Amino acid sequence: MMDWLLPVQNLLGPAWLPIWTVVKIMLIVAPLMGAVAYLTLAERKVIGWMQIRIGPNRVGYFGLLQPLADGLKLFMKEIIVPSGSNKFLFVIAPIMVLMPALAAWAVVPFNAELVLSNANAGLLYILAMTSLGVYGVIIAGWASNSKYAFLGCLRSAAQIVSYEIAMGFALVTVLMAAQSLNLGDIVKGQHGNYGMLNWYIIPLFPMFIVYLISGVAETNRAPFDVAEGESEIVAGFHVEYSGMAFALFFLGEYANMILVAFLTSIMFLGGWLSPVPFLPDSIVWMLGKVAFVLFLFLWFRATFPRYRYDQLMRLGWKVFIPVSLIWVVVVGAWMQTSYWLW
Amino acid sequence: MEKIKDFFKTFLLIELLKGMALTGRYMFARKITVQFPDEKTPQSFRFRGLHAQRRYENGEERCIGCKLCEAVCPAMAIKIAVAEREDGTRRTTQYDIDLTKCIFCGFCEESCPVDAIVETRVFEYHGEKRGDLYYTKPMLLAVGDKHEAQIAKDRLADSKYR
Amino acid sequence: MSFFDVVFYLFATITVLAGVGVVVARNPVHAALFLVLAFCSAAGIWMLLEAEFLAITLILVYVGAVMVLFLFVVMMLDINLVKLREGFWRWFPFGALLAGLMVFEMVWVLGSRQTADVSKAIVHAADYSNTKELGRLIYTQYVYPFEIAAVILLVAMVAAIALTLRRRAGVKSQNVADQVKVKKADRLRIVSMKSEPKQ
Repeated sequence: MMDWLLPVQNLLGPAWLPIWTVVKIMLIVAPLMGAVAYLTLAERKVIGWMQIRIGPNRVGYFGLLQPLADGLKLFMKEIIVPSGSNKFLFVIAPIMVLMPALAAWAVVPFNAELVLSNANAGLLYILAMTSLGVYGVIIAGWASNSKYAFLGCLRSAAQIVSYEIAMGFALVTVLMAAQSLNLGDIVKGQHGNYGMLNWYIIPLFPMFIVYLISGVAETNRAPFDVAEGESEIVAGFHVEYSGMAFALFFLGEYANMILVAFLTSIMFLGGWLSPVPFLPDSIVWMLGKVAFVLFLFLWFRATFPRYRYDQLMRLGWKVFIPVSLIWVVVVGAWMQTSYWLW
Repeated sequence: MEKIKDFFKTFLLIELLKGMALTGRYMFARKITVQFPDEKTPQSFRFRGLHAQRRYENGEERCIGCKLCEAVCPAMAIKIAVAEREDGTRRTTQYDIDLTKCIFCGFCEESCPVDAIVETRVFEYHGEKRGDLYYTKPMLLAVGDKHEAQIAKDRLADSKYR
Repeated sequence: MSFFDVVFYLFATITVLAGVGVVVARNPVHAALFLVLAFCSAAGIWMLLEAEFLAITLILVYVGAVMVLFLFVVMMLDINLVKLREGFWRWFPFGALLAGLMVFEMVWVLGSRQTADVSKAIVHAADYSNTKELGRLIYTQYVYPFEIAAVILLVAMVAAIALTLRRRAGVKSQNVADQVKVKKADRLRIVSMKSEPKQ
């Protein structure tokens, strides 16, 4: 595939591997950052349309330069470190949010060959990385030395820990169906002669819903954005942040959204596989599915009011965890019969 | 039976889907955004915008310094000082409106016996300092002079309802 | 020294320093965060041993869940540091004795012959999945210990809930299930009446 790079490879010798890896990382991170920027524009546009408005359209044609203008604004703003804060932790917290959000991309396959690290325990790795993201939020809330930030971080920590269990069980059913922790193998397990009907969304539909909703909760998106809760605790854990430090939280949140969208399409919607048998499999399908899931995220935000905190906890512990536990047993039993066709 | 129906209704997220169908429909509805500097919504002739002091046709200022507006102003934004002019008429020496206090209720306009203080249709004005929004008598008279034609037309249109 | 050794000593140094940090840090939140760092670098060392399942599980369970709850509690405590630190010298001999005992036990275990043979790493093919291997062992050879451990944890959890569960009278909390069940007819009364004549 990469034959034309061979002369460069020979020139660099042993330095080739690290350099090539860094190049590959850049090739994932740079488009991701661009996608994050334009996801913010898409969000404002879509929510605008659903509220019969037209959304940003002043900066550039169709508002296309709006993300750049926002980025520039945040770059130029001063980063204010509150005098009562814990300086070191205050500065490190936004990095701790962004770092796991980017690290998780290492094992995400874009098509059958295009993957940075084809790790065997890819799914576990993703679970571990997404569970690390909560530290940035907790540290930000604690280090700010502000009551609102602290309330926001406590809410966020409790919420993420509760929904991670349901999310984990949803993933358990997927890996039972695929019999592999490797994300590439999970997609290949959904390959078949019937296109869409071979995807795991058919047998695991309840888990798809549980995973999608838990994903919304994990990324602190509306209607589960009690950690930010603009109308009750101002902006929650990042109330004291400004400028680029605030932008990093933003980048982390949107990168996580895109990650959840990718995982949903890999595990339930057949990744890069084509929905109909007569069209070829391609990365275009993957991006289309991701765009659809992201659109769902925006649609949720435009439609639903914020959950009250006790309702949110009830949903996580009393609805999702029992439902996902039952479905794990159902899938296990189903797989022992001859009616398991996937 | 009812209970079972309720259970499935909540469990299958029927109501949430209904809500999403509604917002989904609205996504394709005609947008009602008014692109402000390019497009403007129609204004009523009773629009209450920036204040102005009016004059008679002969150039004489209308205000007689009765202080009714000062008394009625709920935000206490108006300040008036009165003295006798050389020709023996009662006139104001000071007529200030603090637009940062004003709530644009229109009571001053209602209370004025000679239609001197009015609120115009102007709403796109700004000040770069706090003091810029403290309008004194010459400033109010200047606003009145500038928009007199429109002001007179609006008063005429409103007169049949009074 | 190979690249492998460099990475090992890097992780080992960080683990030890973080461990010291846990003990030395005055602020309990800092101590908890040092513990997180220690777990992460320990996971790195396990990764070097090709025990990727254990390494990731360590991060997932201890860092991602247990330490979050730990931090949660520690952050909300109002700890009086001065009070905590008094009596340090009084308890020092006891602590030192305990530490010495633990060092002795570790040296004993690590120095014994039985464990020495295991230290040789077994080389596997690239597609070898130790997740699968672990699963197979846990559910065949060690199925009873595994299930018993699970039941013990369950009992502990039920006990903890039973200890903290109490029903108080007069608490104004909402019953979400009842709230969800409410219909329009329960709250809204539509009255149809003649309009009243103008006064």
